[in-house]
Amino acid sequence: MAGVFAYAPAIAALPFVSFVVALLAGKYMPKKGALAGIIATAGSLGLSIAVLVTVFLGETYNETLYTFVGGDVPFELTFGLLLDPLSAAMLVIVSLIAFLVHVFSLGYMNDEGETGLPRYYASLGLFTASMLAFVFSDNLLMAFMFFELVGLCSYLLIGFWFRRAGPPSAAKKAFLVTRFGDYFFLVGVVGVLTTFGTAQFAGENGFPALAETVLNPETTADAVNTFGFEPATWFAILGLLVLGGVMGKSAQFPFHTWLPDAMEGPTPVSALIHAATMVAAGVFLVARMYGFYALLPTVLAVIAFVGGFTALFAATMGVVKNEIKQVLAYSTISQYGYIMLALGTGGYVAAFFHLTTHAVFKALLFLGAGSVIIAMHHNENMWDMGGLKDHMRVTYLAFLSGSLALAGIFPFSGFWSKDEVLYEALVHGLGGSPLLLGAYAMGLAAVFLTGFYTIRMVLLTFHGEARSDTAEDPHGVRWNVKFPLAVLGILAAVIGFLNPLPIKKLTGLEVDFLHQFLDSGPEALLTSSHHYSGLTHDYAGYSVGTIGGGEIVTLLAGAGASLGLALLGAGLAFALYRGAEPTRHTEKLGGLQTLLMHNYYQDEYQVWLAEGLTLRLSGAADTFDQGVIDGVVNGVSSVSLFSGDRLRRLQTGIVTNYAALIVLSLLVLLGVFAALGGWF
Amino acid sequence: MVLGAVPAEYYLVLSAAVFCVGIFGILTRENALIFLMSVELMLNAANINLIAFAFYWGNLTGQVFGLFVMALAAAEVAIGIGIILVLYRNFDSVDVTEATTLKW
Amino acid sequence: MLIEALIALCLLGAAVVFVAPNRFAHKLAVGFSLPPLAISLYMYLAFDGSGNALLGGDIAYETFAQWLQLGSYTVNYHMGLDGISLPLVVLSTILTTLAILSAWTPIDERQSQFYGLMLFLEASLIGVFGALDFLLWFVFWEAVLIPMYFLIGVWGGPRRKYAAIKFFVYTNIASLVMFIGYFALVFGLGDSVSSTGLPEIAQALRAGQLGSLGIIGPDMLALAAFVAMFLGFAVKVPVVPFHTWLPDAHVEAPTPASVMLAGVLLKMGTYALLRFNFTMLPGQAEILAIPIAVIAVISIIYGAMLALAQSDLKRIVAYSSVSSMGYVILGLIAYTVYGVGGATFQMVAHGLISGLLFMTVGVIYNTTHTRMVGDMAGMAEKMPVTAGVFVAGAFAYMGLPLMAGFAAELFIFLGAFESTVLPYAPLFTAVAMFGIVIVAGYLLWAMQRSLFGPFRLETDYEIGPAALHDVVPLVTLVLLIILLGSAPMVFFESIQDATLDIVATLGGGI
Repeated sequence: MAGVFAYAPAIAALPFVSFVVALLAGKYMPKKGALAGIIATAGSLGLSIAVLVTVFLGETYNETLYTFVGGDVPFELTFGLLLDPLSAAMLVIVSLIAFLVHVFSLGYMNDEGETGLPRYYASLGLFTASMLAFVFSDNLLMAFMFFELVGLCSYLLIGFWFRRAGPPSAAKKAFLVTRFGDYFFLVGVVGVLTTFGTAQFAGENGFPALAETVLNPETTADAVNTFGFEPATWFAILGLLVLGGVMGKSAQFPFHTWLPDAMEGPTPVSALIHAATMVAAGVFLVARMYGFYALLPTVLAVIAFVGGFTALFAATMGVVKNEIKQVLAYSTISQYGYIMLALGTGGYVAAFFHLTTHAVFKALLFLGAGSVIIAMHHNENMWDMGGLKDHMRVTYLAFLSGSLALAGIFPFSGFWSKDEVLYEALVHGLGGSPLLLGAYAMGLAAVFLTGFYTIRMVLLTFHGEARSDTAEDPHGVRWNVKFPLAVLGILAAVIGFLNPLPIKKLTGLEVDFLHQFLDSGPEALLTSSHHYSGLTHDYAGYSVGTIGGGEIVTLLAGAGASLGLALLGAGLAFALYRGAEPTRHTEKLGGLQTLLMHNYYQDEYQVWLAEGLTLRLSGAADTFDQGVIDGVVNGVSSVSLFSGDRLRRLQTGIVTNYAALIVLSLLVLLGVFAALGGWF
Repeated sequence: MVLGAVPAEYYLVLSAAVFCVGIFGILTRENALIFLMSVELMLNAANINLIAFAFYWGNLTGQVFGLFVMALAAAEVAIGIGIILVLYRNFDSVDVTEATTLKW
Repeated sequence: MLIEALIALCLLGAAVVFVAPNRFAHKLAVGFSLPPLAISLYMYLAFDGSGNALLGGDIAYETFAQWLQLGSYTVNYHMGLDGISLPLVVLSTILTTLAILSAWTPIDERQSQFYGLMLFLEASLIGVFGALDFLLWFVFWEAVLIPMYFLIGVWGGPRRKYAAIKFFVYTNIASLVMFIGYFALVFGLGDSVSSTGLPEIAQALRAGQLGSLGIIGPDMLALAAFVAMFLGFAVKVPVVPFHTWLPDAHVEAPTPASVMLAGVLLKMGTYALLRFNFTMLPGQAEILAIPIAVIAVISIIYGAMLALAQSDLKRIVAYSSVSSMGYVILGLIAYTVYGVGGATFQMVAHGLISGLLFMTVGVIYNTTHTRMVGDMAGMAEKMPVTAGVFVAGAFAYMGLPLMAGFAAELFIFLGAFESTVLPYAPLFTAVAMFGIVIVAGYLLWAMQRSLFGPFRLETDYEIGPAALHDVVPLVTLVLLIILLGSAPMVFFESIQDATLDIVATLGGGI
């Protein structure tokens, strides 16, 4: 089966071909490029599954395929493929979601008579291709390059409806904010390359392994260039720099502001961005180079706190939103906060588990929201909906499945993954890193809010009485919408059983498949999860602690707390918003509601930074440039002109004056000669 | 050698005097014809010098130069008078202070 | 003899086109620009040089003949290419052809003279990059000014005379300063050199044969000459604070002239800096590393900030050129293979990218008769192809991976970060890299205002579909940029080879 690796580059190449085809020939094709995209992503999905199976059977792949820059340089820049359990699993997720999004787009874009579809499908193809290439990158530089291309595609897609004022602005914001993060990332990439001379993720020559040998007191390593810093300090700086890019793309506080605005893009794009591509790229990168982060306790703590805080912070804003996509947007930020929390607290598997389940249920929720939006003739306000469950059965059931997963209700997928995330934070917090308990507490509080806003959204959208004419007679949707929803709806319900850790702990059955899978793979790659837990234990001092009667009790207490809080939040929402005509309870929050509706004025200060500060500074620079610098240049010319103008007045045109001048000069010259020559 | 009894300084003083008369003419008069005459005076002052030195040193080069200067002066007068004629035609006078349009 | 053939063909073309009737001029000029293009591409393929032309490497396409005897100095006719000049020659021929192609619409009077000057410009540029003797080089260097002066002054915008004179006088005074600096070195070397040839001078300087000149000792002389030449070239590059002629020249120049100005003329400055200052006087560059890096960083950030404040599309691109040229300086002062090589690569990459953006702005201007961002909105609806190319060009400018700008900037950042010549190199690099955020800011903002949103055009011109002679140069450039960005070794291989000797002395990077 290892032969399939030879075709692995096609996983990204196929969607790229669909990009070229859609761009050049899309307008002559029957579905304006959609078919090319669907075929290409289906091919990618098939190949990804083949790769996954191969990796599952114990083969991995870590090869350099193309030398970007070689020759007499201090270090070569290369492209290559790293196919290990992590990337193989991620490839399947990405290509699956991309495939379903392409299918769904038939219903959302083609059936709705949008124009510019070749552009849409071309961008979608490039988006998928870049993300897939990012996922199987074998080094940080290649990852960065495709990370940027992902950013470009999100710009193109968010701004797809460029004829309106909103989308181009949102697209610009998304690109700029993530670019700000990517600036730090690029500094980090350059730093990593110049420090280690390589940016390989895996293997003995990868930079995480090199960093470990440098930090390990028992081994003598070749000195790396740490630019005069202590190695640990310098590595922490590098880790934080790369983290900048992660926080930008994964919309972590304070770079989260672009994401809600990005809702201006078509809904299938939102699904792709949130579930599997752009936003997932950030956290995936941390997982990809976890061998490096695991060495850096400070950075891990930062990741944990950023994650925990973002989870809670975004959840509070999700509570008051009125548009269905806005609620989902804030839930995305919040859920990626959980993933960061898991990564920061040493829960590598938990993080990837939550990434997986989130990809499924968030894609589902967005596609479900898209279905609702089609039905509502592109009205997104939940207060105009209501009672839709009777009109759109498939959408409702699928959406409900996704919502319960998002809320973390047993036994939907979100419960298992979120529970494991919180469990990891709890045990490592108890095991000698008490700081992590703070992040854990924020994560736990967010569970309650998640339960609340999710159920509020479901109730407002689907339950009660129809609150507008469109909601009474919604637009129907076709198979191409229902099919992806059905697939994802089922997955959202069951995918949690990939890794039901509590069941394993309680019964002793070896059902933690994801754990086993991520732990497999050759030792030499140094990307297995036990290697990572060894590193977090040795370098970050993470160890497992328990409360009271040991692991089982801790597990049950943690699970009970999170499930209880989720149910409490859901119950509160149910109590407040059930019935035919729910009232707007959020208005009772008063000033708090205003604050939340304005997103804590985060946008305002960032807009001020851009427009109030930078733009004004640039205006001042321009004035300075025109006035002072160009003024000096023009001044030099003015002085020349002026002095010339004055000097030429010596030239009177009267011969007598010239003669007098000549005589005078002669006399002066004589006088000088006389004085110098000593004639007197 | 009757001439030899006259010391060189005398010639120089004479030449300087003639030259100064010429300069005085140029600096104070406005008539172009007077200008021309003054220039002639100055040229001849130079001639006196040339010839006096030539004699003094017994070297004919100075005399040759004197002849050159005379020829040059003749040519100059010819051109000068031509210019003056044109001047008169354009400005209706031979006053040099009026013809100032060539300055810039 | 191939370089001579190139120059001769361009000059022949210039002469023929100059006297041809206006209505044939465009086609004739395109025709005459193609053989040099083909020859230069052949030269690229058949390139067999190695090492640096100034430091004893194998020079390709070399011609050597005695020309003049000035006192004890021989002036030779010495031409040849190495890995650094070859890409720039190719860049010149490509851009000239494309610029001539794109001139169809904007140039509607005195066409034959315009195209004649363009071809003359091409000949001079090839001469600048090919000449290996100082006086020969200087002749071409100054000759470049003549066609550019007329291109701006005759076919330019309303303030064309001001801009043309400013351009000419500013760069000419700078040339004088540089000239004095170079001859101070030549005289300082005394009897150890017998010609004004660049290789001989460079090698003598590197061998430490510089003596005193009058009361000035060798160290002081070298430093003064370095500063003089740096100032001279700094105007051409241009670096802040000598940059103010650039936006004026660009705004007034007709589009094809802007393309040449940004695409190739600015590179003359950085090319000369590399050839003279950084190749001949590495020790002085090391002494002045911090001031030079400061200037580079200021150019990058300040230039980008200025671009942010503009509302004329051409001015935006012009100021951003100042910013991009700052990266080149940063790469040069790094003295690493990635730094110096990246700087050279950036010259080519920026030539293509800024050429592309100027052409795109030109196409928009030809249709709308305005370049002000505030006068238009939603142009993407009426001009989809042009808008698409604009987006591609803007992202190339922002350093999108797999496009030439990213490769160039990445090399420069890598080279600068690891520099051992420049103190606090990581800090300088990190600050300079913030330019990539600002560049994204102003280009995205400009695109949002002019290309997107509901359609609005103040000047009220009819907008037709894009013409083929507009689209072909644009798309060619986009493809070239992508080619260079995804396979940088196309040029970087030869560049690398020629920069190794430059950085070897200071031991940077390897």
